[in-house]
Amino acid sequence: MKTLFVGLLLAIGAMPVAAQQDVGARLAGRVPPEVATLVQQLAADAAARGLPVDPLVQKAIEGGAKGIPADRVASAVRGVAAQLTAAAAALRQGGLTPPDTDAIAAGAFALNAGLSGAQIAQLVRPGASAPGAAVTLRVAGTLTALGVPATETVALVSGTIEAGESPAELLTLPARVQAALAHGATPAQAAAGLARAAAARANAPGQNRPKNPHHP
Amino acid sequence: MIEFHPLVKQLLDGELTLADLPPELRRQGEAALRLLAAVDREPVTLPPAVDARVMAAVRRRAAAPPPSFWRRLVEPREVRFRLRPWTLAPVLAAAAVLVLLLGRPAPQPSATPTTVRFVLFAPQAQQVAVAGTFNQWDPAVAPLVRTGAAGVWAVTLTLPAGQHQYAFIVDGARWVLDPAAPAVDDGFGSGRRNSVLAL
Repeated sequence: MKTLFVGLLLAIGAMPVAAQQDVGARLAGRVPPEVATLVQQLAADAAARGLPVDPLVQKAIEGGAKGIPADRVASAVRGVAAQLTAAAAALRQGGLTPPDTDAIAAGAFALNAGLSGAQIAQLVRPGASAPGAAVTLRVAGTLTALGVPATETVALVSGTIEAGESPAELLTLPARVQAALAHGATPAQAAAGLARAAAARANAPGQNRPKNPHHP
Repeated sequence: MIEFHPLVKQLLDGELTLADLPPELRRQGEAALRLLAAVDREPVTLPPAVDARVMAAVRRRAAAPPPSFWRRLVEPREVRFRLRPWTLAPVLAAAAVLVLLLGRPAPQPSATPTTVRFVLFAPQAQQVAVAGTFNQWDPAVAPLVRTGAAGVWAVTLTLPAGQHQYAFIVDGARWVLDPAAPAVDDGFGSGRRNSVLAL
């Protein structure tokens, strides 16, 4: 009985150690040792809370590749950890319980791009995010990075989903906004034009709209 | 089959004594006890062959060499546990933690990979590469090559679905944004940014 109990405890303890070794191997020779230690600690904490680890490792490796001083790399990695935590909270607020790591990473990217936690929750609420939370948030973040104001971004993405567009079509939104920018429109004008077009498609007779409990 | 009163059945089970029975059931109780005693005392005799077979098996086992390690490992055997019920609580808690950790949904495999062409106009450059989250920010992995047009460098990569951040590295030192893509703060300060791509 005692052996069984001790075995279970050892198995639980061994998993974070294995994850830390993996993170350590990825960082070896690419970041200063103190940064590697910090990232291993943050990664273990993130994994224990169901948060993705890869964005932390990627940010540290990026800092090493760019020759950024260790203290600024550490600060940036801590910033990513905070964004992941905030993104997970926003996704839970939007009804995703538990949120998957892909969606959390996409949410952190959207936060970094300029969307708020409330806007992320709005985009992923049940029925609003038919293409999947991760795709929705990646597109929204990219639109915001293009300069589309956050409010217009949410309206455009939500309207496009309600029009029944496929995930593949949703992913073309940034390119369509860029095309409009190339013709002289501002990001807000480009987004508003696309949102109006999506609304027209949604209201067109015979349009096969997806079921949305918030908009029966 | 004889049907006894429930109280008599309790008597047979040892839960009551004859004195506990009501007077009208005592005769039935005595009869039942006599019957039970008769059954209990029926002598059981085994055929001599059975006795001999059992004893032969016991002697064979006693004389046999000790089983090998492998046999001891694979041979079925009875294992008895004696445990206090409260010790189950931490074991169940540990098992629940294991289930939560192992049952956590794994990151979804990327969907269909997409072919992406990275292009940079850098007429003065001697070498250009692209590094990002898709190649562990390694400047040596994806060098761009000069195209026919003067000063235009390009490379075509197959990337998994997802959100990628990247930058061009010109002459091994200068990190340059993709002018054809949106950009976000890279978190390192001094206004540095990364180009982004959603697939």
